[in-house]
Amino acid sequence: MRHLKRPTTPWPLAVTFMALLLSGPTHAGTASGDQSLTPIPERPAAPEFDLKDPEDRPQRLADYRGKAVILNFWATWCPPCREEMPSMQRAHEAVSGDGIALVAINVGEDADTIEQFLTNYPVEFPLPMDLDSRVVQSYPVKGLPTTFVIDPEGRLAYVATGGREWDDPKLLNQVRALKD
Amino acid sequence: MPPQLGRLRAVLHPLLLLALTPLTSACAEDDPAQGIDPQAGLPFWAWQDASVEIRLIQRLPDQTRGFFIARGFSSESADRIARSCVFQSIQRNRGVGAAAPVVDLDLTQWQVTPLDDPKGSPRPLALKEAWDEEWEKAQESQAARIAFRWSLFPTRQTFRGGDYNWGMISFGLPPGTRFDLTLRWTLDGEPQEAILRGVSCASELVETDETAPD
Repeated sequence: MRHLKRPTTPWPLAVTFMALLLSGPTHAGTASGDQSLTPIPERPAAPEFDLKDPEDRPQRLADYRGKAVILNFWATWCPPCREEMPSMQRAHEAVSGDGIALVAINVGEDADTIEQFLTNYPVEFPLPMDLDSRVVQSYPVKGLPTTFVIDPEGRLAYVATGGREWDDPKLLNQVRALKD
Repeated sequence: MPPQLGRLRAVLHPLLLLALTPLTSACAEDDPAQGIDPQAGLPFWAWQDASVEIRLIQRLPDQTRGFFIARGFSSESADRIARSCVFQSIQRNRGVGAAAPVVDLDLTQWQVTPLDDPKGSPRPLALKEAWDEEWEKAQESQAARIAFRWSLFPTRQTFRGGDYNWGMISFGLPPGTRFDLTLRWTLDGEPQEAILRGVSCASELVETDETAPD
């Protein structure tokens, strides 16, 4: 008769297991193929926010009026959020001179967690902290990552649910067109 | 055979069998599929047609337990969610652009039917709203509850062309339970349904060669 018992994990398995344990939900699902942004009908006003970044500097949406804003909601434990971060940095480098800002609001994590994340994913755009998740709940967000494109008048113009390769010229040209 | 290799074989053997089983391809159209997810190294079950992809990847109870303890949950609460048959889910509208049919998913319409219980009747999933009430009673921290809220798949969500989301789904069944899963969604408002058969919750117990007969 076969017996079942709790496993005594051998070390090669332990390494694999620890990798799994430390990972968040797996299989991010990648942005691939023909990418798009979904237009938001009637362009409602983007909810204002007044947050602090990990270095305690204020971050307000109102400060970006007159610019198009790519506004991302993310968390360090979210695999597709991590996956799209490098392309967001490349997008930031590509459009920062075009009157387009990239801002990524972290949902529910503290400055230490974000600083630690930045050692592996260095980015230069602002990372406001939505510690009590009130800001993300004021936007029509169902899951992370979700990204909005806000026009220079402060209205929600596009949404992308799930990750994207943000340095894709097709996406960035849609954002640039808001400035015309 | 050295005991460590025996245990390794015991763990990998069922995964290998699944990988080699000539089941429907993971990319089969209009058909459920199953196999081993290459990233997670764990079994997955999936449905895919021209408009929608729904993929469920098994999560080990210890993997889920570790994830929620790291987010600030007490070990008791993390254990409760870990032992409730949690899968990682990815759901996608496979269309592109504004002309793609709109997919609406509503997990309150999904049902699980346990297979090993002759009296097993279809039942609803354990959704994030019900869990959140428990976390409030258990006085879990705000940070933990926020992480939970955003790491579980939304109960209702609309997907336009190119949209996808990912998140955990808890089926509320004990570890090791096998079940059929009825998936329901709408495509441009038209109801759609598919069944994933023989889905299996990950077990906490691993069969070992030490106690198995020769």
